[in-house]
Amino acid sequence: MKIREGWHTYWKNPGDAGLPPRIEWSLPEGFEAGEIEWPAPERFAEGTLVTYGYHREVLFPVRITPPNALGGDSVTIEATFDWLECADVCLSASGQLRLVLPTSAEEARQSADAGLMTDARSRLPRPATGWNLSAEAGPRAISLAFVPPAGVTPRAAYFFVDQPLVVEHAVPQGFEHAGAGYRVTMAPAANASGNLARLTGVLVVERGRFQPRMAVQIDVPVIPGNPAPAPVPKEKAGSPVIAYAVAGVIIGFALAFIMRRTRRRKSHHT
Amino acid sequence: MKRIAILACILFLGSVSNTQAAAIVGKPAPAFELRDADGKAVKLAAFKGKHVVLEWVNFECPFVGKHYGSGNMQELQKKYTGKGVVWLTVCSSAPGKQGHVTRAEAKDLVQEKDAAPTRFLLDPKGTVGKAYGAKTTPHMFVVDPKGILVYNGAIDDKPSTKREDVATAKNYLAAALDASMSGGNVAIAATQPYGCSVKY
Repeated sequence: MKIREGWHTYWKNPGDAGLPPRIEWSLPEGFEAGEIEWPAPERFAEGTLVTYGYHREVLFPVRITPPNALGGDSVTIEATFDWLECADVCLSASGQLRLVLPTSAEEARQSADAGLMTDARSRLPRPATGWNLSAEAGPRAISLAFVPPAGVTPRAAYFFVDQPLVVEHAVPQGFEHAGAGYRVTMAPAANASGNLARLTGVLVVERGRFQPRMAVQIDVPVIPGNPAPAPVPKEKAGSPVIAYAVAGVIIGFALAFIMRRTRRRKSHHT
Repeated sequence: MKRIAILACILFLGSVSNTQAAAIVGKPAPAFELRDADGKAVKLAAFKGKHVVLEWVNFECPFVGKHYGSGNMQELQKKYTGKGVVWLTVCSSAPGKQGHVTRAEAKDLVQEKDAAPTRFLLDPKGTVGKAYGAKTTPHMFVVDPKGILVYNGAIDDKPSTKREDVATAKNYLAAALDASMSGGNVAIAATQPYGCSVKY
């Protein structure tokens, strides 16, 4: 999907509002389509609410398994793709997709779109191999503690929960370096139903400025407890709150500078 | 003068806070007073002794279009108000935002859609929406005759904008009303609502 500037579409858990895309396949006999493999999402502020999804460009990989034997010269794969796209308003859309692929006894060659596929795969969350993970839930916070593999130094982290009614998405998450590892904390959902047995979703870790973010799949048992919320890090530059704060500091310093200059000039006159 | 400068910094930095209000199932529903499409004041407390449905609306949202376009929402309104339920449709779209309506526009839309809420309430400042933690359009709430919230969530279990999904969906709102009105417990009392974000 190529998404217009300022618009976004949604992850499998859209957060406070929205809807994930849906594909209905129409496949030749014996073919099977897997689920969408969801790339690691980003978060969007929709007014006071927070949603999870994608902007600019996103590719949703789906594995299609053919039967053991293929007849004919080609196979036709068709699908209906329904999606919701939102900016400050939402539009729902539907598209018919059709792909005719030649069948051949020769080994498959890479197509012109191979790079696109490789890029899409790189955006998928990885299994948490080498990560030490644990989760604890209490009335004040749900805490995901992690020790990353050697050489990974997180500067920030965000946990995209994929379960409904577990977390208040619009409450900023806490993050801290704790002991040998790190902690991300979330506000429990006001209408959470009963005890949380497992925490599932995607942990996204920001590293150094020139290192790509890492996304790992999370599925951990939850220990009941009373973890404290970790401090909420200051928002990244680019958010309106921080822009105002930066503007405030600049105006403040400018004022101080002008005042000092004026006072100095005045003292010259006297 | 330096003090003013420092104050300017503090003022700009100080505006960072975030608290989330929500209507919690099993707790008293937040009290409120709003004006309806006729300009009359409507208090939740006035409906003690009756079941009350709160429906968040934005007629330009495709999810609302699904439930009004299929006639689902109007049918629910007629069925349950016919049984003595008070149905309050609330619009929390801010002026200038999608779905915002004036009193006259609200009345026209109710007529045009053949909708049958008991009252259509205007919440342009979003205070009631925020007090309830209304997130989407639609987002449904049920208050029992004692004023306790017994349902908070989606209208049904088919998150989509497709009208044809209404026929096969399990309607959470109807299930909650039927259970609570017959004196039973609501089996599914909280769900994740689906729809467009409320345009506060």
